[in-house]
Amino acid sequence: MSIILISSDHYETCRAVAQQVAESTGYALLDRKILGEVASASRIPEPKILKSLEPSSSTVGLPAKVRNRALAAIQSAVMVRLLDDKVVCYGLAAHLYVLGVSHVLKIRILCKEEERVSLMATERNVGIEKARKLLKKQEAVQKRWSLDVFGRDETNPSLYDMVINMSQIEPDEAVNAIVETVSYRKFQSMTYSIKCLKDRELSIRVRLALMEKYSDVDVTADGATVVVRTKALRREKRKKTENIRALAGQISGVSYVEVHAGRDIFRQAAESA
Amino acid sequence: MHPNENEVARDHLEGTEKTESLDGRYERTHAIDVARKFLLSRKRLSLRLQICLSFFIVFLVAVIAAYVLNEANAKVEKKLRFLEIANDFTVEIIQARRFEKNFFLYNTNLDDALENVYQAKAIFDRNIGELEQVLGRDNYKKMISNLKHYGEILEHLLAGDSNQPSINKKKAGKERMEIEVRKIGRELVSLAQNLIERERNSLSKMLAQSKQLHFYSLIFLLVFLTANAFFLGSRILSNVKRFSDYTMRIASGDFTPITPARRYRDEFTELALAINQMIQELENREAVLVQSHKMRAVGTLTAGVAHELNNPLNNITLTAHMLLEDYEELGEDEKKDMIHDVVQEAGRSKKIISNLLDFARESSSELEPLALDELLEGTIALASNQIKLSGIKISFQSTGNLPRIHGDGQQLQQVFLNLILNAIDASPKGSTIEVLVLPADDPTYVAVKVIDSGSGIPEHILHSIFDPFFTTKPKGSGTGLGLSVSQGIVAKHGGQIRVSSREGKGATFTVTLPVTTIPAQIKV
Amino acid sequence: MAEGLEVLLLDDEPIVGKRLKPALAKIGCNVEVFEDPKKALERINQKEFDIVVTDIRMDEVDGLQVLEHVRQSSERTKVIMITGYAMMAVAREAMEKGAFDFISKPFKPDDLRKVIAKAAEALGSNIQSEISETDGS
Repeated sequence: MSIILISSDHYETCRAVAQQVAESTGYALLDRKILGEVASASRIPEPKILKSLEPSSSTVGLPAKVRNRALAAIQSAVMVRLLDDKVVCYGLAAHLYVLGVSHVLKIRILCKEEERVSLMATERNVGIEKARKLLKKQEAVQKRWSLDVFGRDETNPSLYDMVINMSQIEPDEAVNAIVETVSYRKFQSMTYSIKCLKDRELSIRVRLALMEKYSDVDVTADGATVVVRTKALRREKRKKTENIRALAGQISGVSYVEVHAGRDIFRQAAESA
Repeated sequence: MHPNENEVARDHLEGTEKTESLDGRYERTHAIDVARKFLLSRKRLSLRLQICLSFFIVFLVAVIAAYVLNEANAKVEKKLRFLEIANDFTVEIIQARRFEKNFFLYNTNLDDALENVYQAKAIFDRNIGELEQVLGRDNYKKMISNLKHYGEILEHLLAGDSNQPSINKKKAGKERMEIEVRKIGRELVSLAQNLIERERNSLSKMLAQSKQLHFYSLIFLLVFLTANAFFLGSRILSNVKRFSDYTMRIASGDFTPITPARRYRDEFTELALAINQMIQELENREAVLVQSHKMRAVGTLTAGVAHELNNPLNNITLTAHMLLEDYEELGEDEKKDMIHDVVQEAGRSKKIISNLLDFARESSSELEPLALDELLEGTIALASNQIKLSGIKISFQSTGNLPRIHGDGQQLQQVFLNLILNAIDASPKGSTIEVLVLPADDPTYVAVKVIDSGSGIPEHILHSIFDPFFTTKPKGSGTGLGLSVSQGIVAKHGGQIRVSSREGKGATFTVTLPVTTIPAQIKV
Repeated sequence: MAEGLEVLLLDDEPIVGKRLKPALAKIGCNVEVFEDPKKALERINQKEFDIVVTDIRMDEVDGLQVLEHVRQSSERTKVIMITGYAMMAVAREAMEKGAFDFISKPFKPDDLRKVIAKAAEALGSNIQSEISETDGS
């Protein structure tokens, strides 16, 4: 009973491995096919939803507000499905927002660089050297994007439980390694880790609901208790707090809402430490 | 942390210490203002002025010497000219006398002698002004009358020689005149030679004087320039030393403003003012640094507190749920017991947070007598969750009966907390951290030792662990400011923080603080 | 469903035992409560429990040591960890060492009851497989 999140520097490789892992474990495959549903549920056009997942520099990408809402919608849909357990998920940036859950196995697959260069060369119809440069640029954009949007560097190996370098490992071997690893007891779900996942799901759901009106909210959930942090000027503080409390209180699974408007120094200190 | 965030932090804690915490800084600002007033109230004697003045004096001396020498030169020139005149005059007279002699011996050349006398007379007439001045009126008159007389007699002789009234009578007259002429001639020559002699003496005296003037003015310049160089040099050097002492003092954390050390003000006064300004800035920065460092410690502690809170919360949750579940079946006493448990655990929760909240509140910079063992017990309580979390034991021992120290409790607590948190980081699981409070070797100091049994500090970095930004922790997990800030705080209290360590044998941090009897000494 | 299960409950917080003993008794467990991990270990040596519920953060002996001890002395005993210091790394470590489940404090009595029921089920299937194995041989 585990969840496998696979991310890669190359989407196609990622998809191939994920599919094989899903086949050999019998887990459900969770991928971009859900984006259609996400689009209709969130009333954001599907191309925009898809675009929000594509790393891009802030100047050419979607406006931040739209992008954040689209991503929140995706996150919410992903989290609900992860609660089902026994899921292999890729291509939905889940490795960047499913954190601290012990039964989630996070895999990073590094594609052969030469292969990526030649793929890039044919894709863009450019020379090898040019393709190499383009790839470097793309990597930088990707890193920047993951930091900007989720506050985490996607390329940092410590984010993952396992990093597989495909330049020496065959796809079959990689799949075997993943299947073997996920069978370890430490990746089995338990009351605590399921609770962590549920808390995460709820917090994202609440955030998505609040985002229609307030884009700058940060939500954490513990059981049925939800804590919302937001910035507010002194005069609008009371009204905003009340609105958020009312909005969040309607969401199923929420029994108590706490709103902190202003800065939370303890949290700030804890994060800076 | 940005000062603005401090504002917010204070706000958030609903702190009322805002004004109090500013007191310390206000006092220092005031002290700096007072120092400024005193620094500026002195007479100004700038280095520039001293340098200009000394150059002017040297120039003045040179001008005077040049003028005096010029005057002397003019006099010497005059004297030389006079000597020339006197010499010419004397030569003419001597020539006249030679012809006069010839006349008496061979009865020849009287014309020539008279010619010479006329020449001498002409010299005399040409230089009448100068001669009169040099010789004095009496001498001059005497000379001129003698010369006249001499000329008259010679004329007379010449006339008598051509008339020849009677041989005998003539002879007798001639002899008489001869005696007279010789007498006057001798007189004239000796007078002229005397004059030359006198003038020559006076000339050589004058030359000697001018030589002396050269010599003395050189001596004067030498003495003056040496003295000036000495005073100017010592003035600059002593000030440079004074200011290097100030910077050392400031570097050690003593932020007392610079006050006047001399009776006058100069360029160094401006430096002192600038340094005082800098002290104020430094102090503000330090206050921010200390506070932000404290918030870091608070951040570290919150993780432990959050976990520790789960225990009383769990007790409350379980009790409340069971009370709800079994409400009908439970007896009165059991219900009371359960409610009592809830109340008690709620109190426990509050206590867990309130320690941390007290500590997190912005420092009020209050100086008070402190018992170090109480302070350390509080600090250990604050860190207790962190200690539990890392599976380390802590033992606290105090020799007891220690004199109090005077200081800012919160800041010192921050120092000890930092040392304890460092010790926790360094200690392996299951080991014990020892905290000791004891009298220091110096009886006027109290020492606190924090001893861990970690891997120790390698000798080559031992000397740099108090440097700002020095850290052995992985990037991102430490600022490397903890010990530096701690050292600053301890130095302000007049104490010291030392470390001794052997690799593999753990490290011992020792903080010594003075037992203060006069409270006003601490500059916080 | 948990009829007659022998449960040892170890937590250095007295209230936990005080409240959970009757709560678990309601579903038919025989609960022995300990506050001192050393005494609990002694008792584990004496008797094979069906379920051991232990806190992790305790002085002297921590819950993971208790877990290891139980794993060594009894294969079938299910160990449930309860802790206020729940973190992913500890959770994974406990699971890898053979914990049946891991619950973070604070929890409701029902949360534990559910886990106990799950453990009973697992025990039941174990008992069944043991029976079938003996049958087989």
